[in-house]
Amino acid sequence: MLELTGLRRLAALGSVAVLAIGCGIAGQSPSTVPSGTGPAASAAATPTGGATGTPSGSATPGASGTPGASGTPTASETAAEPPTPAPSLSGEVVWGNWPLYIDIDEETGGYPTLEAFTAQTGVQVTYREDINDNAEFFGRIQPDLAAGNPIGYDVITPSDWMVARMIRLGYLQPLDKSLLPNFEANVQELFRDPWYDPGNVYSIPWQAGIVGIAYNPTLTGREITTFDDLLDPAFAGRVGMFSEMIDTMSLTLLSLGVEPEQATTEDVQAAHDKLLTAAQAGQFRAFYGNDYYDALAAGDLALTMAWSGDVSQMQLYDNPNVQFVVPESGGLLFVDNMVLPNNVEHLADAYALMDYWYTLDAAVPLTEYIGYFSPVAGVREQVEADALAERKADHPIRADRLDQIARDSFPDEAQLANVHNYKNLTEEEERMWNELFNEIVGG
Amino acid sequence: MSRRLRRLTPYLFLVPGGLWLILFFVVPMVVMASVSLQEGSLETGFRLTWNFGIYPQVIADASTQFVRSIAYALVVTVVTIAIGYPIAYTIAFRGGRAKNILLLLVILPFFTAFIIRTLAWKLILADNGFVLGTLKDLGLLAPSEHVLATPLAVISGLTYNFLPFMVLPLYVALEKIDPHLIEAATDLYASRRQAFLRVTLPLSMPGLFAGSLLVFIPSIGDFINAEILGSRDTTMIGNVIQRLFLETNAYPEASALGFVLMAAVLVLVALYARIVGAEELTQG
Repeated sequence: MLELTGLRRLAALGSVAVLAIGCGIAGQSPSTVPSGTGPAASAAATPTGGATGTPSGSATPGASGTPGASGTPTASETAAEPPTPAPSLSGEVVWGNWPLYIDIDEETGGYPTLEAFTAQTGVQVTYREDINDNAEFFGRIQPDLAAGNPIGYDVITPSDWMVARMIRLGYLQPLDKSLLPNFEANVQELFRDPWYDPGNVYSIPWQAGIVGIAYNPTLTGREITTFDDLLDPAFAGRVGMFSEMIDTMSLTLLSLGVEPEQATTEDVQAAHDKLLTAAQAGQFRAFYGNDYYDALAAGDLALTMAWSGDVSQMQLYDNPNVQFVVPESGGLLFVDNMVLPNNVEHLADAYALMDYWYTLDAAVPLTEYIGYFSPVAGVREQVEADALAERKADHPIRADRLDQIARDSFPDEAQLANVHNYKNLTEEEERMWNELFNEIVGG
Repeated sequence: MSRRLRRLTPYLFLVPGGLWLILFFVVPMVVMASVSLQEGSLETGFRLTWNFGIYPQVIADASTQFVRSIAYALVVTVVTIAIGYPIAYTIAFRGGRAKNILLLLVILPFFTAFIIRTLAWKLILADNGFVLGTLKDLGLLAPSEHVLATPLAVISGLTYNFLPFMVLPLYVALEKIDPHLIEAATDLYASRRQAFLRVTLPLSMPGLFAGSLLVFIPSIGDFINAEILGSRDTTMIGNVIQRLFLETNAYPEASALGFVLMAAVLVLVALYARIVGAEELTQG
């Protein structure tokens, strides 16, 4: 028995020692933690395609930091790279996108615009509506991005602020504009050279929309006009907010009269306090990603923060009562963008897909279904022309629908004036805002 | 030579299991421990700074969620015992030829994925779904009442999801009980209630113990039910860890919380084992 006690003691000390040494070894891994340990990870971080300038290929083992930390590429650095010759089409492409962002054939369940693309180019598109929330999606793909592995998608559609973050981390490859002629020719001036990606080096806009408020008049009993209506105790427990920190915080800042781009620490603290009081009083039913749509359509929510195009679709397909309004205090303009991660399996097909969306043949049917703000020039006029054609062909319902889309999907001067941009947060700011927001969301 | 080999044989048998344990348990644990002591962020990289101060910090930050998770898990365990014991008892003692079918019915929900079952509950408990809608139409509930986004919904979801884990071990323990023992008890002038309390119940303790562990431990760390059926006031520790890991990418804090959760569960289970007298149970 004595022998065993000594052995037990030895085993205990031994395991503590192993734990400590193990911690030290694991702590020496060069890249961010989830991507694994040591040389294997950094060796795998090889760039692909035209992205010869990205830093992920230059990460050295033993360096403490993500591949992106060794210097994010500036626009001038990567623009100086000579364009690589266009690779040939492989016949398939995988695209990760948000839900409610493509036209659907109600009977077959297929995607007409994607099918037209396949007919035109012979490329099969695997369309995955996997993005529900930017941070959630980023959390899933980040380990692979950090290690330079393929992430399972060729094209993804993150929002503006997420694009800014991914550029900062060096996870995206610069786009070869010679392979995107339709983009160059047809993009609206408003969308060129955005705040999150100067010069459109890494991204091209997919669709834009407005973050505002959607409400069901039969449930609210009155018209909703501004952000503070979301905090009206009469609607306690039936209000939805976004789980996306930047959307919720920026809209709250606007309600305090603060321009998000100029928000200071005190402003953010005030926004936090305002939301926390309401949250603790049980004002919000939950903090949603894109799944607010189901709750609103089903009647679980009386009013909620919402994205403009979703509401157009809801009015047409799921719940005709719902209305969208840009809050008087101010709405937010968001732009979702198509980007290419560093390691793309089907590069030529990805470019073909991205460029396809800047033709009117694709952009018009898309807008006529999803009702978002298209970055392609000439779409609104075409939709209005289609409405006129339907009216002449004696299809008044279809004509009305198209008129409504032409009206609601494209903000006019007055609306655009009341729509604001997000702040391009530094890492420190993002962490501080997130900490404050987590307190509101996490209870 | 062969005698030495013979002495080593038991240890050699341990090697496959030991390797599996090391690869899939020890290594991840060590990596997680290492991460919890690191500092930094995605953009600047993480560095091992032996930051033990993170543990008190995360415990303070997430204390309400910890307490809430423990409370929910305890309630779920008690409710599953209350519901599961009669089910297991009926199947074991009154099942007869239908035993297999009844067991199949208990396991049937497992044929679908956990998330889909929870989403189904979201539909069932919807504000104007067929349960609440009917009650509201009949005037039994106010129109603005909702079950979703309350602790009741989360606990119900957890109970439903983990009920089979309670029923099956209980069934196994009850099945082993020799009916002659109960007969003997009644022969000795015990009432049916006394026979149950003094014969059946103690003999089924191993099953109760196993079942409670199988229900309590997963429920405390669950985040899916709270996410789908709950609201901000029902967030559990699993949600906090998930959010820290996936959304704010605060890996050290998330790993530290994971360890604290593991430690808390170990302490609670050890206490429970002490109370129930697990020494005899596991030898029985």
